[in-house]
Amino acid sequence: MIVCVAVVGHQNNPLYLQSFTGSDDALKLHHIVHCSLDVIDERVNNPKRSASTLNETFLGLLYPTENYKVYGYLTNTKVKFIMVTTDLDVKDADVRSYFRKFHAAYVDAVCNPFHVPGKKITSNSFSERVGTIVRSFGPSMTL
Amino acid sequence: MEDYPEELRTPPVSLVCLTGCPELHHPISAFLHSEQPPINTLALPDFSKASVLARKKNRDPLSQPTPAPPSGILKRDWLLKHRTRVPAVVAALFRADQISGDPAQWLQACTDLENLKSLIHGRSTRLVVVLVQTQAAEELSEDVMTALRKRAEIDSKHLVEFVQNDASDLRQSLNKLASLFAELCLTYYKEEGRRIRSIIEKKSSPFPELNIRYCFKIAIYAEFRRDWSEALKFYEEAYRVLREMANTSTRLPPIQRLVEIKTIAEQIHFKISTLLLHGGKIMEAVARFLKHIKTYKRLVGLPEVDFLHWEWFSRQFLVFAELLETTAASAPSSQSPRFGTSESPFSEWEFQPAYYYQLAANYLREKRCCLEQSSVSKTDLPTKITEAPDSVMPSIHIGQSARLVEEGDIVTVLPLSDAEYVAYALAEAERFQDCYEIIALYKRAQESFSSHGSQRMACLCTLGMAREYYASDDFTNSKQLFDTVAAMYRREGWAPLLWEVLGYLRDCGKRLGLTNEYTAYSLEMAALPVFSTGFEETIDFGPAGPATLSREEIQREVLNFAVETDGDPEPVGLDVDLVSPLRSVLLVAVAFHEQSVKPDSVASLTVSLLSHLPLLFKVDLLEVEFNQPACNFSMSIPLEVSPNKWLRLTHEVKSGQSGKLECLTVKAKINNNLIICCRAESPALMEDLTSWKYENQRETYPTLDPALSLSGQKSIQVDEPNPLVDLTLNSIGPALVGEVFQIPVLVVSTGHVIHGGELKINLVDARGGGMLMSPRETDESDAHHVELLSISGLPEEKEDDLNTDLSEETKSDNIRKIQYSFGVVSVPVLKEGESWCCNLEIRWHRPKSVMVYVSLGYNPGDVDQRVNVHRSLQIEGKVPFFTNHRFMMPFRREPLLISNIRSLISPLEEKKVSLALKENNIVIVSAKNCTDVPLNLVSMKIVPEGGTDSNEKLFLVQEISGISNKCTRFVPGEEFRGVFSITPLVAKSSLSLGVVCVEWTRDSKNQDQPETVTTKHSLPQVCVEEPPLVAAIECPPFAIVGDPFSLYIKVKNNTNLLQEIKYSLGDSQNFIFCGAHVHTASILPGKEHVLSYKFVPFSAGVQQLPRITITSVRYSAQLTPSIAAGTIFVYPAEPKFSLEKNGSELVV
Repeated sequence: MIVCVAVVGHQNNPLYLQSFTGSDDALKLHHIVHCSLDVIDERVNNPKRSASTLNETFLGLLYPTENYKVYGYLTNTKVKFIMVTTDLDVKDADVRSYFRKFHAAYVDAVCNPFHVPGKKITSNSFSERVGTIVRSFGPSMTL
Repeated sequence: MEDYPEELRTPPVSLVCLTGCPELHHPISAFLHSEQPPINTLALPDFSKASVLARKKNRDPLSQPTPAPPSGILKRDWLLKHRTRVPAVVAALFRADQISGDPAQWLQACTDLENLKSLIHGRSTRLVVVLVQTQAAEELSEDVMTALRKRAEIDSKHLVEFVQNDASDLRQSLNKLASLFAELCLTYYKEEGRRIRSIIEKKSSPFPELNIRYCFKIAIYAEFRRDWSEALKFYEEAYRVLREMANTSTRLPPIQRLVEIKTIAEQIHFKISTLLLHGGKIMEAVARFLKHIKTYKRLVGLPEVDFLHWEWFSRQFLVFAELLETTAASAPSSQSPRFGTSESPFSEWEFQPAYYYQLAANYLREKRCCLEQSSVSKTDLPTKITEAPDSVMPSIHIGQSARLVEEGDIVTVLPLSDAEYVAYALAEAERFQDCYEIIALYKRAQESFSSHGSQRMACLCTLGMAREYYASDDFTNSKQLFDTVAAMYRREGWAPLLWEVLGYLRDCGKRLGLTNEYTAYSLEMAALPVFSTGFEETIDFGPAGPATLSREEIQREVLNFAVETDGDPEPVGLDVDLVSPLRSVLLVAVAFHEQSVKPDSVASLTVSLLSHLPLLFKVDLLEVEFNQPACNFSMSIPLEVSPNKWLRLTHEVKSGQSGKLECLTVKAKINNNLIICCRAESPALMEDLTSWKYENQRETYPTLDPALSLSGQKSIQVDEPNPLVDLTLNSIGPALVGEVFQIPVLVVSTGHVIHGGELKINLVDARGGGMLMSPRETDESDAHHVELLSISGLPEEKEDDLNTDLSEETKSDNIRKIQYSFGVVSVPVLKEGESWCCNLEIRWHRPKSVMVYVSLGYNPGDVDQRVNVHRSLQIEGKVPFFTNHRFMMPFRREPLLISNIRSLISPLEEKKVSLALKENNIVIVSAKNCTDVPLNLVSMKIVPEGGTDSNEKLFLVQEISGISNKCTRFVPGEEFRGVFSITPLVAKSSLSLGVVCVEWTRDSKNQDQPETVTTKHSLPQVCVEEPPLVAAIECPPFAIVGDPFSLYIKVKNNTNLLQEIKYSLGDSQNFIFCGAHVHTASILPGKEHVLSYKFVPFSAGVQQLPRITITSVRYSAQLTPSIAAGTIFVYPAEPKFSLEKNGSELVV
């Protein structure tokens, strides 16, 4: 189950952060997302990656906590997507597919003429769409 | 890791026992220890001490007919025993003379050997007999050797001779001994391992404890042999069996059982991790560790001792972190190109110790949490259980505890009940200060993360530390750490995280009694963009409380804070500068509507206030301060500042002082208890608020006019008052180079009284560059092309001599400084209508166009304010004359100059004018007036260089024609010629003829005594040489048709040699002549040869004489008179004019 999704802007500022637990660890999820930015920074700034992965937007598993797994994704406009899941056995393909959908939703949200680029995303329809994507995530997707 | 016994932490080292010959023990021990792999020695000085090797009575439990369950898994001292007391090899050292000599000694040796044999009986410990010989020659007989071998019951190769007589022998013997020991150790440990393995294989033990113990032992023996892979295999096996046992064993009470299992698991896992990490298999080690953690995480045990579990769990992380840190195995970078994907399931941090330190700290916090709960619930338990037993000590088995009961002299060790154990563990745990341990762990993690550039993780660790300090009531340290964390969250705009931290900070401020800080943190919290998502009630925000509800509460509390404590009359003052986080509480933008304003006229400005506080508040008093205190104003009408909305106030200020008027601060007084002093900001340069920058809200402008919001400035330029003074600069046409040119300056007051007036003069090259001198000539004194000489015509200077150098004159009351291009002169007090004038005297050294800038600065009245008037004038500097010169010889006189011939041959040589020695050389100097004004020429002279009074006169100068009367006036464009004759007296290859000085004045009628200016024109260097031959043609000035006249060609030989010349005369149809056409002649030294011809002209007019050519044979030089010299005017008849009157004009 996905417990938290986040969109992080250029200044590493949160643009959208939604947790789906409803319990008291929402702040902890904030911390997890914030700390994952360190790993993104390191992966993006380290040029040791091979040529085939240069244009890769999916950043992979960022931060293993014992209870969560954190995955990252970097768009071409250097906006970061972060996802925290409680499923400890996740397939890469599922995560990639999730991020693709999320990216599409994000693109639609920022294409809204009333959205100011660089500001927080407050669109309700975006939230609803993200909720749908999050609910559909899981092992059943691969079947 | 330091808590582990040393034998567990280090790899085991084989042990060899030496006995007998104590003097050899040290060299042998040292040698064995330095071997690779090293061998430890147990040195027994004599055979009587060998009893330490005796084994205690404990038989293999499985070999007994009815196997009893073991009381523990591993014995505490087993490993130590094998490292220090149970040798793999026992070496008995005998001296050769002991064996071969006295029979009593032999018997003793036999007894010692027997003893040793009995001690190691039943073990596979090897016996080695070493015969020590002092000399190689000291051979023992074969019989003795055999007897000894039989006694010892050993192979012949286990009987070693040790020769120690010299260094090389000793070294050889030591090497032999070491290799034998190494081999025997290997065999011993292999056999021991095999023996135990056979036990496992033979009978599957009903007790898993024994299986674990055996696996552990096999692994240790394998480690002795450095067979790491086997060791790893059996440790893994032991670990597996142990994990299975956790659910089945019933031997001990459940709590203690779990403690024992975890302790053993910890040790085995430590061994596995160490082996993997030292083998460089960091990936496997990490994977193994994660599995270990996963396996044991749920094995918490009973809730009353869950703190033991978390302590143990935290220790796992700590130990693994320390292992990672100490082993140099670096994180795999080449093996896995990308972390976090299916290729490599790990992320970067799992290879960093910091990650594990941080988790260790987290679990230690968990432990403390559980411990606190257990301590609380302990009081509910019956008292008999809560009493901890007095003397609890570790039992002989690892991970078990026992109670020591003393009854008289008898000490008995009794097992503990679980209740007793819990009480004991609680009592032990409460003695420790966990928070310092937690802080230390966070600190290590924080430092490590920082060094890897993971700022946010480091920040999280700092937050952990700060929370711990807060929990332990150390608010000073806590506040300091929270502040650094808050800075990070502020910078990146993570409002919910910042909210939590500020909540702690606010509480710290409150507890430390820092009113200002408490207020500041509270206000910052109230102005944070945290909004409801519906879950806030359940989130643990620490002391901050749920965000959405408390923002309003906090604001209310803070704004009414001081009113409640009315005993403290001092209002709280907060400074908000350009980087303060409190800008979101109150942001002040000040914009003047214009960029500049006249003095004493009104400038309007807009003061805009913005607050992000959630509730509307009232500002009782607003004070606006400027850099000119006269302009400060305040508004005491209550102003209501609404959330997120600019409050715009327009005000007018009037400044009487010129210069910059800048708004500095705006102070807002709220509720009489809070004064916020904001630095005023220009809307044009205003930075966004970091916390509200990303909020999706409507953008508003601080001023009504959006353009002013983009360009408005908090400062305005107040102009100077208009000058009421006339400053006039006059000039009369262009200046001429050399003269002192005067520019009159007139100052007339037309309204202002001039106080402290100061006139500044500046000369600047009109073509730019500002340089009035050429760069190459800067070091010369008169290098300035244009020079400000002085300022004349001042009223008090009238009587002074104008030529005195005024730049060096100093007056006590008047400022006067004159440099080459700059001058300052003070202007006296001038009342309205009064005037003052002066003349600027400027001299041009070169023709140049110059801008003269004159500025007058003064105080118009009593006000300390200066007014400046500027004027400028461009003045052209011109050369008065164009001067030229020409050298000539006298008419019809031609000296032969050798240098002229040379220059004909080689024309590339520098051409220098040659003058003939002691001949009259003519120089014609022409001067042309190239100005627009008529000039008076006073004189023209040739002045020798270096003055006329030189001792040796090099040449004579005679003015042949020049200025006839005192002053010759000549109009623009007119040319004047002066003719001079120069007679050099000395032959010299380079002679300076000096300069032509032309003295002139301006032809002006209004000046009585016009100043005479000298313009100089230098003559070139000439070459003076003695002509070897001088030819002169003597001819009458005119001829008359049909009238014969004589023509003489006189050639003078000036040399001491006989000169031969050839001469010829061409034919002419206008003349007939008598004399030789072509002839040669020889001229004696110093003599003159005269060629005489008689001519009769035929026709009148200007006639060309027949062409005369004279050739010097010696110099191969041909002399041909010029056409002018060969021309004569022939009158048709005798002219009728008076020769006396015009003779001077004819003879040139």
